[in-house]
Amino acid sequence: MFFLMDYFSILLLLFVSIGLACLILGASYFLGIQLPDTEKSSVYECGFDPYEDSRNKFDVRFYLIAILFIIFDLEVLFLFPWSVSLSYLSSMGFWTMMDFLFELTVGFVYVWKIGALEWE
Amino acid sequence: MITEFYTFFEKSPFKSFLGLNTTMDFSLVHQNCFKMFLPEIFLATSILTLTLYSVFIGSSRNLGYPLIIKNLIKLCILTLFITFLLINNSSVFSLLAYQNTFVFDLLSSNVKQILVVATILSLVISEDSVVRQQINNFEYLILILCAVLGLMFLVSSYDTLSLYLAIEMQSLCLYVLAASKKDSSLSTEAGLKYFILGSFSSALLLFGISLLYGVTGTTNFDNFHLLFSGIGFDNFSFAPLIEKALLAISVAFFFKIAAAPFHMWSPDVYEASPTSSTVFFAIVPKIALFTAFLRIFQIFFSGFEEIFVIVLIFFSLCSVIVGSFVALRQKRLKRLLAYSSISHVGYLLLAFSSNSLEGVQSLYFYLIIYMLTSLCLWSIVLSLNTKSNLMKNKTLLDLGSISHSNAALGFTTLVAFFSLMGVPPLAGFFAKIEVFLSALGSSLYFPALIAILSSVVSSFYYVRLIKTMYFEKKEEETSCIPVNHSCSLIMSLCLFSLIYFFINPNFFLLLTQKMALCLF
Repeated sequence: MFFLMDYFSILLLLFVSIGLACLILGASYFLGIQLPDTEKSSVYECGFDPYEDSRNKFDVRFYLIAILFIIFDLEVLFLFPWSVSLSYLSSMGFWTMMDFLFELTVGFVYVWKIGALEWE
Repeated sequence: MITEFYTFFEKSPFKSFLGLNTTMDFSLVHQNCFKMFLPEIFLATSILTLTLYSVFIGSSRNLGYPLIIKNLIKLCILTLFITFLLINNSSVFSLLAYQNTFVFDLLSSNVKQILVVATILSLVISEDSVVRQQINNFEYLILILCAVLGLMFLVSSYDTLSLYLAIEMQSLCLYVLAASKKDSSLSTEAGLKYFILGSFSSALLLFGISLLYGVTGTTNFDNFHLLFSGIGFDNFSFAPLIEKALLAISVAFFFKIAAAPFHMWSPDVYEASPTSSTVFFAIVPKIALFTAFLRIFQIFFSGFEEIFVIVLIFFSLCSVIVGSFVALRQKRLKRLLAYSSISHVGYLLLAFSSNSLEGVQSLYFYLIIYMLTSLCLWSIVLSLNTKSNLMKNKTLLDLGSISHSNAALGFTTLVAFFSLMGVPPLAGFFAKIEVFLSALGSSLYFPALIAILSSVVSSFYYVRLIKTMYFEKKEEETSCIPVNHSCSLIMSLCLFSLIYFFINPNFFLLLTQKMALCLF
């Protein structure tokens, strides 16, 4: 039990987030004025009809953009833990991230120059 | 660790007491690491530079979108050559770098040298094929360099995390290399197959690593050493869990080196991917994978000897038997060579399972000789061109009448096949006998017997190929397209070294002994 005390704050966070989610959803459900129509109650899916045969043609450029987005988004995500812990890091830690950003830029230049970002 | 020490040091009153008022310069702490990492840093920087160079030149409208692949091959070879020189230049005997995640010792530097040289040679022999198959995207070569970089990291990795990342780096490059012929559905299929099975094995590897971490609380090999050196495993209540972790890791490893029964991907991938990529798959990655996994298994070997020896012998005999018997029915040259490489992996695992210095030494000796032989064989496969079969994958019939149309090429093929078989006046004989002797030395009599009998079976299909070449009349005489100059140079170099290392194998024996000593 003693070791589990470390997780108490996480338990607290769990309860607070569940409570807050219930509160917000419940408030908008009970207090809001609801006038549903077909457009409002249908699922929104980026310009596609969500209820049709999934085996239809799909422009490959969507995939390309999505993959590029995921790559750059996830790699930039490393910046957050780095910037939080920057004050504890040595110069090595700083320059490692600079190197990482440089390499990311090279990747970006590559993607740009081969024309992967052009829609037409 | 260092940062904790640093903050402690900054706050402590000892600092002023010792008269150290200047802040510590941390570039000095990592100075040796940088020095050791110089080849990798150079290679990584050149990869970036070459990417920028080729993307700017290749997509330049003013220059008319030139094809730079021929130019880039030369630049890649130059880069790898300078990397080789840099590896040669490093002088530290043994060093753990970057919080013990990487190790630099004689083993890693020697394996890196072998890797780089093998890549240079395979690039030289496949240069013509790359141009002929119209692989015009320069990414192909950049990916080969990336794979070599990943393999170099793999050889040095001394932490399960760096091991996993390095394996992923090299195998992601290899998946794309397999699929690099975009207009061929076969090549795409090969890439997809390789990707799915490869990521499956990576998942198993991660599973094993996470179990190990869950039991021991560390990912570092150095800590594993410390943890398991003093105590016996019998007293360790988590021993069954560690066994399972090691089993998962070894299955991932067998996937990567294509040991039976996890070999299914290798013949398909070898057959369907462009021959220039197949050459790279077949020659280069094995030695790095073996090195990385030897480092892991050597730590745990003493504690789990019974189960480990059984597992290794099972997979070794499976590979030897599957490799020898299934290859009998193969009609296509690349598939045949894939199955023959599976059986050779079996012999390597037999050497591994003997768990002795001689075993590891004979493993490396066998690997090096096998790399030399397969370099020779693949350059032959790449140069068996006639007017009619230029773009097709070669079958065994293409070898027919080669002894008449190009006698020197025929003789080289003969010698290479005899060396793979292990016929005495060639280096392959020494490699095989070393493996069998090390197995016998650890009293693995029955496995050694099975392996020897299977090698007799496998010599049948090599001899059949030689019969096709020399003793069968072909109806229409076809004339070979003359062999590329650099390719023939490498072929003859391999041929002479196969004969020379039978007469005087001391160079490689000493080298491999030094490499094996690093692990014990």
